[in-house]
Amino acid sequence: MFKQISPIFRREFFAYFNTGLGSIMLAVYLLLSMFAAFYLGNFFEVGNFDLFSFFYFQPYIFLIVTPALTMRLWAEERKSGSIEFILTQPVSLTAVVFAKFLAAWSFAFVMLLSTVPFWIYMNAEFALDNMNILCAYVACILMAGMFCAAGCMISSFNSSPVTAYILTLFIIWGVIGVNFSPLIRLLPADGSVLSGIMQALNFDKHFQDMVSGQVSMDNLIYYFSAVFLSLWLNVVSIEYKKG
Amino acid sequence: MITVKNLCKNYGEIKAVDNVNFCISKGEVVSLLGPNGAGKTTLMRMMTGYVDPTAGEVDIFGQDIKKHRLECLKRIGYVSETGFLYNDMSVFDFIEFCAALRGITGTKFVDNLRETLASLDLEEVVNQKIDSLSKGFKRRVGIAAAMIHKPEILILDEPTEGLDPGQKFSTRSFIREYGKNHIIIVSTHIMEEVEALSNRVILLNRGKLVKNTTPDELKTLFPENDIETAFLKITSEDR
Repeated sequence: MFKQISPIFRREFFAYFNTGLGSIMLAVYLLLSMFAAFYLGNFFEVGNFDLFSFFYFQPYIFLIVTPALTMRLWAEERKSGSIEFILTQPVSLTAVVFAKFLAAWSFAFVMLLSTVPFWIYMNAEFALDNMNILCAYVACILMAGMFCAAGCMISSFNSSPVTAYILTLFIIWGVIGVNFSPLIRLLPADGSVLSGIMQALNFDKHFQDMVSGQVSMDNLIYYFSAVFLSLWLNVVSIEYKKG
Repeated sequence: MITVKNLCKNYGEIKAVDNVNFCISKGEVVSLLGPNGAGKTTLMRMMTGYVDPTAGEVDIFGQDIKKHRLECLKRIGYVSETGFLYNDMSVFDFIEFCAALRGITGTKFVDNLRETLASLDLEEVVNQKIDSLSKGFKRRVGIAAAMIHKPEILILDEPTEGLDPGQKFSTRSFIREYGKNHIIIVSTHIMEEVEALSNRVILLNRGKLVKNTTPDELKTLFPENDIETAFLKITSEDR
C-alpha cells in the first residue's frame, strides 16, 4: 500500500510548488493569520499566554485556504481526462484517494509549520504556556485534516475546480458555523440522546477543548471519523462516476 | 492472451458495446476500426478496467479484469484517447512517476528508460518540461510512459494522431517491432495505418463486432480492393 501511495503523494505534494499555487497559498495563509491575530484579535491588548488571538481565527482562515488546496485534486483530473490515466494504473482507488488527501493535509501542515517562528519569537518576548500552544497546534492539524478530507470529497463530485472551491467553502462554513450550544442548553440536562449527538457533532466544542489544552478521546474520534467518512464518500463517488 | 467474452456496455437505453467476442494472442497487432460512436473507446476502457461491463467479461491471461484489476493492469500499458500527461512535470519526472506506480525503480528503471527513450527517439527532450513539447513529442512521451514496465499488452488509442510523417514512420516501426513478441491493440481511423501496422482488424459499428479478419482479407471483400471502401461499405450496410 505504501509503495502505491508514495509516488502519487509526491506528485501531488510537489505539484503545489511546481504550479506556484503552493507559494501563493502559503503567503495568503501567513498574511491572513498575522492580520487576524494582530488586528482582529487585538493581540497586544488581551492576555496572550496561549496565543489565543492567533488560534481563535484559524478555523476561519482554513475555511478560505483549504478549498484552494483541494479544489483541483479530483475536479482537475476529471476536467483534463487524467482520471482515466490514474485509474488505469495498477494502484487501488483507496490508495489514490488517500495519497491525494495526504498531499493536501501535508501542505496544510507546512502552512502551520510556517507560523512556528512566530511562536518561537513570542516565547522570547513573553512567558507562554507552551503545552497549551502545542495542543492548539495539534487541534489545528486535525482540523486541517478534516477540512482537507471534506475538500477532497467535494472535489470528487465535480469537474470544475471553481465549483469545488465554492461548495467546499460552504460545507466547511456549515461545519464551523453550526454551533449547537444554545440548543443543548435548552434540552433537559439529564444527558439525553439528542443532546449527546449535538455535543458530539459540535465543531466549536471539539476545537475549543483542544485549543484550551484538553485533548480527549472524543475529540480525536470526532476528527478521525469525519476524515474517514469523507474519504470513504470520495472513494464511492469516484467508483460510481467512472461507470 | 486477451479474451473478450459476450461483452456488453449499456448507457441507459444506448448499447455502446453489444455482445462482442474475440481473442488476441501474443505476437498480434490488432487494429480496432470503426466510425465515431462505434464503441472502440468504451471497449478499450473495459479492457483496461476503467469501465465495468454491463455483461460479459475481459480475461487478461486467464484472469477476469473486473475481479483481478491490479494484477491485470500490471501487464497492460495504455495510452488513452486524451493521451494525458502532467504538463508541469519534465519528461523524465513523468516517466519516473509512471514507473514508480508500477514499482519499477533503481537500475531496472534506468535500463528500461534508456531503451524506451531510444526506441521512441526521445533522448533529446528527456529533461524538458512536457508543456514545452510539440504534440508529436507529447504523444510519444505518452507511449514511453505506458511501456516503461515492458507490458505484455499495449493498448493505444490513435497513437499517431498529430505526428509528422517522419514521426509516424518511426512510431509505426516501433509498434511493429514491439508487436512481434507482445499484444498490441490500436484504435485508429486512419486506413493506411491499419495496413501499415496490423495483422488483424476488428471492425466495430454501433457497438457490434461486424468483421474480425486480416487487412488483406478485408480488402478483397469488395472489387475496389482497398480497405477504405471496405470500411465504408460494411459500416453503411450495417445501418
